[in-house]
Amino acid sequence: MKTLLTSVAVAAMLTTSALAEDVTLQFWDNQQTESGLSKFQQAAIDRFMEENPGIKVEVTTVPYPEYQQRLLTAVQGGNAPDISTLDQIWIGAFAEAGAITDLSEQAAASGVEKDKFFPGAWDSANFNGGLYGIPFNVDVWQFSFYNKDLLDAAGVSPDDLKTFDGLRSAAEKLTKNGKFGVGLFGHRGEDTVVVVNSFIFSNGGEVLDSSGACALDQAPAVEALEYLQGLAEYAPKGILNASSGSMRELFLNGSLAIEFWPALEQPTLQSSDINWDFVNGTAGASGKAIGTYGGWNLAVYESSENKEAAWKFIEFMVREDVNGDVVDLLPANIAAAKAFVDKNRKGPDRILEHLNNAKPRPLSARYLEVADIQMTLYQDVFSGANVAEAAMKACEEIDALN
Amino acid sequence: MTVKDRWLLWVFLAPTLLLMGLMLFYPMVGTVIDSFHDTSFINPQPRFVGWAVYEKIWTSRQFPEVVWNSVVWTLGVVLLQNILGFFAAMLLNQKLPMQGVTRALVLLPFVLPGVVTAILWRFMYDPQLGLINSLLISAGILDESAAWLASSNTAMAAVIFVAVWKGFPFSMLIYLAALQNVDKSQLEAATIDGAGAWRRLIDVTLPSIREVILVNIVLTLILTFNYFDIVWVLTRGGPQNATHIFPTKIFETGFGQFRFGEAAVYGVFSILILAMLVALYVIVQQGARNRRPTA
Repeated sequence: MKTLLTSVAVAAMLTTSALAEDVTLQFWDNQQTESGLSKFQQAAIDRFMEENPGIKVEVTTVPYPEYQQRLLTAVQGGNAPDISTLDQIWIGAFAEAGAITDLSEQAAASGVEKDKFFPGAWDSANFNGGLYGIPFNVDVWQFSFYNKDLLDAAGVSPDDLKTFDGLRSAAEKLTKNGKFGVGLFGHRGEDTVVVVNSFIFSNGGEVLDSSGACALDQAPAVEALEYLQGLAEYAPKGILNASSGSMRELFLNGSLAIEFWPALEQPTLQSSDINWDFVNGTAGASGKAIGTYGGWNLAVYESSENKEAAWKFIEFMVREDVNGDVVDLLPANIAAAKAFVDKNRKGPDRILEHLNNAKPRPLSARYLEVADIQMTLYQDVFSGANVAEAAMKACEEIDALN
Repeated sequence: MTVKDRWLLWVFLAPTLLLMGLMLFYPMVGTVIDSFHDTSFINPQPRFVGWAVYEKIWTSRQFPEVVWNSVVWTLGVVLLQNILGFFAAMLLNQKLPMQGVTRALVLLPFVLPGVVTAILWRFMYDPQLGLINSLLISAGILDESAAWLASSNTAMAAVIFVAVWKGFPFSMLIYLAALQNVDKSQLEAATIDGAGAWRRLIDVTLPSIREVILVNIVLTLILTFNYFDIVWVLTRGGPQNATHIFPTKIFETGFGQFRFGEAAVYGVFSILILAMLVALYVIVQQGARNRRPTA
């Protein structure tokens, strides 16, 4: 009998051990840049597996343009990974759909807390009272990167770019001899939405107010949109089909004086011949330049059978000594971000200041529909439509979504 | 055929029919069912709403734009592609020096992937860096560069031009094969009777390849109506929805905004239009078969 019990106990231990080793996490991420990130990410994952011998991690990296579609299809088909990065603007929809899990309890129990992350990034993971992700990486739209040589030649001071009036006057002076003052763009893309939002935020406006109603037809937003409509005169032609990418091409070939990009742009500029620097966006009536948050959160899927291991992985990825090695934007962990920008970015203090001031986009399960209406509005604005009327029409459509 | 043979026939046909049913008709039937449900990513449990989603789409300001754009896009591409393809085939049907090389070069746009073609033309159309504006300004046709893809007035024409550039070699290939089968003796007889080149084209060549022309037109109608990548990469349906056609709208609504029910309604309209075009194709082919002389 004793032998039998011993055998059963040994067999049980072996089984437990085998199960522990069998935990394989599927982690999906997307690739936005050619930064060689995957090499560093793999090194970090190897380190995680050394620290957690029972857990294996398999990484699937999907190109950014396909990522949303792949995730949707996986969730719909019941093949979601255990963990993935999710764009901040997808959190509401994925949470509402019941695809991702509330991490509030795990976060509270393990000390993964709000004050360790940039406030807007943490807010972007909160939806209907739950915490549906942990901020992984962040950035801000936008910094105004400028070509020093073009500004000097036109007698424009970088400080001029910090206010609405100063930027317009600078853009006017810089637009001559085949050069363009300001890299405004208005194609149907999220980069258009975040840049225009930042002008609205910086003028004291909002997209949705605290009750969730559309605020784009309110005076601060309408004034900001009218301002941008006028500023478009100094942008390269073809604004309605231009993206941040097309403005970058012009900036890099020296024919554009100011481009709007997040800090992500710095590595590209550092490897160029352009004599560049940047200021933190442009302040309107609010007196402060307020950017729009961009970035990604780490989320655990409801369908995962390895939620405990998945949480361990998330804890590891957002740790101060790891977060900076595994992101291609900026680490969402403030301490990691400080170390990262000090080492890798020009003007680290300015970047951190802008990150602390930035606002997230509306936290709504129907954000993508809101953004679609915003894109139509912004295209109307850049086409010369009456701004107040176009904004009113957009607000009717946004409010009808609720 | 005996009863046993008939059973055997169905047994052999069954795997194919089953596969066709699963692969072809299940998604279509699924789309029709989805179109009567309020279903999106955030409301994954479909709620039957009857015609409500149809009414929403039907009364939206985008629907008439998408229909009109699809008509302009499809007819524009099909007409220009076939006219250009036909005349290119006429040219290549002549004895030209380096005929093989010329034919291969003309085929090049057709073998390029749609996405590559679109990226190439995006650069060509660029208002600041593009070759098209440089050429037109050098030739004195334009005073200043134009933003072809960024203006609601020119965007559709610009994407049609790209699709024609990519698609005409396909039509050309088919017409070339047809032209090489035109009865030479009829052409010679017409020449002896004093018919010039134009008369020979109208009275001999075109009637001889009439069926091929019809089939080619219907086939390119179907292919063009379904085209996605060129339009998506060039304009994403913009500016201001000026180039949104059914496939781009379906993609944007379904995968861009997670509104599967509404995407399904656009899909059903697409299926109906395509079913009509396929029926037209079958009728044209049947007509051609009936007119073919029997041995």
